Amino acid sequence: MLDPVFYQFSTSTTLILLVGFYGLTFLFSTLASKKSDSVDGYMVANGAVGFGIAAASMTATWIWAASFYGAASSGYQYGLSGSLHYGFWGALMILFIYPYGQRFRELAPRARTLAEIMQARHGTSSQLILAISNLVGSIISLMVNFTAAGALVSVLTPLSFETGVMIAGVGVLSYTLWSGFRASILTDFAQVVAMMLVAIVLIPWIYFNMGGSEALSQGFNIITAEQADFFSTKAMLEQGAPFFVAVLAYGIGNQTIAQRLFAVRQDLIKSSFITATLGYGSIVIGLGMLGMMALFMGMTPYEGDLNNLIPQVASAYLPPVAIGMLFILVIGSLSSTADSDLSALSAIVMTDIYAKNLAKGKIDNKKMLLLGRITMIIATALGLILASFSLDILVMLVFVGALWGTLVFPVIASCYWDRVTNRAFLSAVLGGLILFCLVRFEWIALVGAWASSLEFIAAVGGGTVIGLMFFGFTNRNVALIAGSIVGVLCAYYFHDFLRDYTVLLGSLVAYGASTIICTAVSLASNERFDFALIHERIQHFDD
Amino acid sequence: MMLSLYILIWPVISAAVLFVIVRAFFKDMAEAKREERDII
Repeated sequence: MLDPVFYQFSTSTTLILLVGFYGLTFLFSTLASKKSDSVDGYMVANGAVGFGIAAASMTATWIWAASFYGAASSGYQYGLSGSLHYGFWGALMILFIYPYGQRFRELAPRARTLAEIMQARHGTSSQLILAISNLVGSIISLMVNFTAAGALVSVLTPLSFETGVMIAGVGVLSYTLWSGFRASILTDFAQVVAMMLVAIVLIPWIYFNMGGSEALSQGFNIITAEQADFFSTKAMLEQGAPFFVAVLAYGIGNQTIAQRLFAVRQDLIKSSFITATLGYGSIVIGLGMLGMMALFMGMTPYEGDLNNLIPQVASAYLPPVAIGMLFILVIGSLSSTADSDLSALSAIVMTDIYAKNLAKGKIDNKKMLLLGRITMIIATALGLILASFSLDILVMLVFVGALWGTLVFPVIASCYWDRVTNRAFLSAVLGGLILFCLVRFEWIALVGAWASSLEFIAAVGGGTVIGLMFFGFTNRNVALIAGSIVGVLCAYYFHDFLRDYTVLLGSLVAYGASTIICTAVSLASNERFDFALIHERIQHFDD
Repeated sequence: MMLSLYILIWPVISAAVLFVIVRAFFKDMAEAKREERDII
């Protein structure tokens, strides 16, 4: 085993790499700097983006720094199936949302945010729940990406964590501020090309430098039986299942995805998102293999921190030029996600806060555009502050994840079922969230009839997840059958079992409770909604 | 052998996706130029 010492770039090399990366990205973004007075262009590029840029942008946005670190950590912890359980389910988040994206576009071809559709469907309260969950999610994402930049810079260069955070924040803001979403997706293309090229070169490079098949095969002697099992139950339950459950929640909860669904030409949604699924899956699973290879080579994460694995493997098996490429790969991935978050945040503030609420029918496009840019500056500052102070945001992250889980069924049902009411939407989200908190934070001990009831609700949640996955690609009857079968199987297997896995139980309860409440309250009402109204209520701002 | 394939298949898929994306980008760019409009 090689000594786990990180390679160190000099200060000048680091600055050349960072300034070169952000400088080139800025120059590329100037190609999108025309038509800067169009608010629809600033938010969704007028809904006419082509296949190449849309697929590249979706891939780049969904890959953030945590994708590499998370996949490698999973590969190291769980062995053979580890990185698959990270990257495969992450990729499915892109795949399973596109059929619903087609429906969103069909209902509201001129929409900019998903919350805007909820406003047209139900009103302000439902809209704001979704918009605020999107806002918090994007702020957290910004903070995580800036933190990753600081961590990488502090590990591989003489510069401090804070300097890395600051350079990333200012760099991303500089090329996104003026042209907004257009700059974000155009630079995503350049960034994803760079990321893919690096991944294509580096994975085999490390593999052969480690000694190839012969050296790695000997690793089977030092890993556990569970790590050598491709169908490891532990990997499935601890890594795969929570990700699988989150597949639809992340799709619904992320304005970055919704924005791309509204930006790509309507007939290209399917091909763009399938291509992005493959792009994301191959890069993330491939880089996750570095963690698995480190395990097989008997490496130990420096200071026990799994986030050190990738820089550690690179330092041990790659020459400085290749480590520089990896450095750019990580900076590119976090920047592409951060610029998407800035664009998402500005679109939500411009559309959902200003145009739909504050403007009261008197929309001033110039003011809206200014507001979008101010939002980006404030969001960057907030992201930098949160990242610099390394605040513990785990509770907020858990809470937002649960909120997204409770939103999945009400949002999707609202777009297909004319009986869903605003009251059903709100009570489902609030009810699901309260039950989730009771479970996840164990405010009431998970024993007896209480635990059994929750396991039953979680079974409904399991059936909902599968039912909605089928519904996107088939029809209501097939989805109902698939969801019911899985629900019954879950009820059987979860009984007296799932209470020991509170993370999974909490997530499934969020889905199950919101589904039950939304369905029951909707059925109790005789209201019917005319979906044509959504089309009517959502107009272009530029007209 | 299977382990090598399992590790090395991902860069191969990435290369295929990269080819598709880059080709589509240049096609979009040519089309935009022909129609005298911006690519986005």
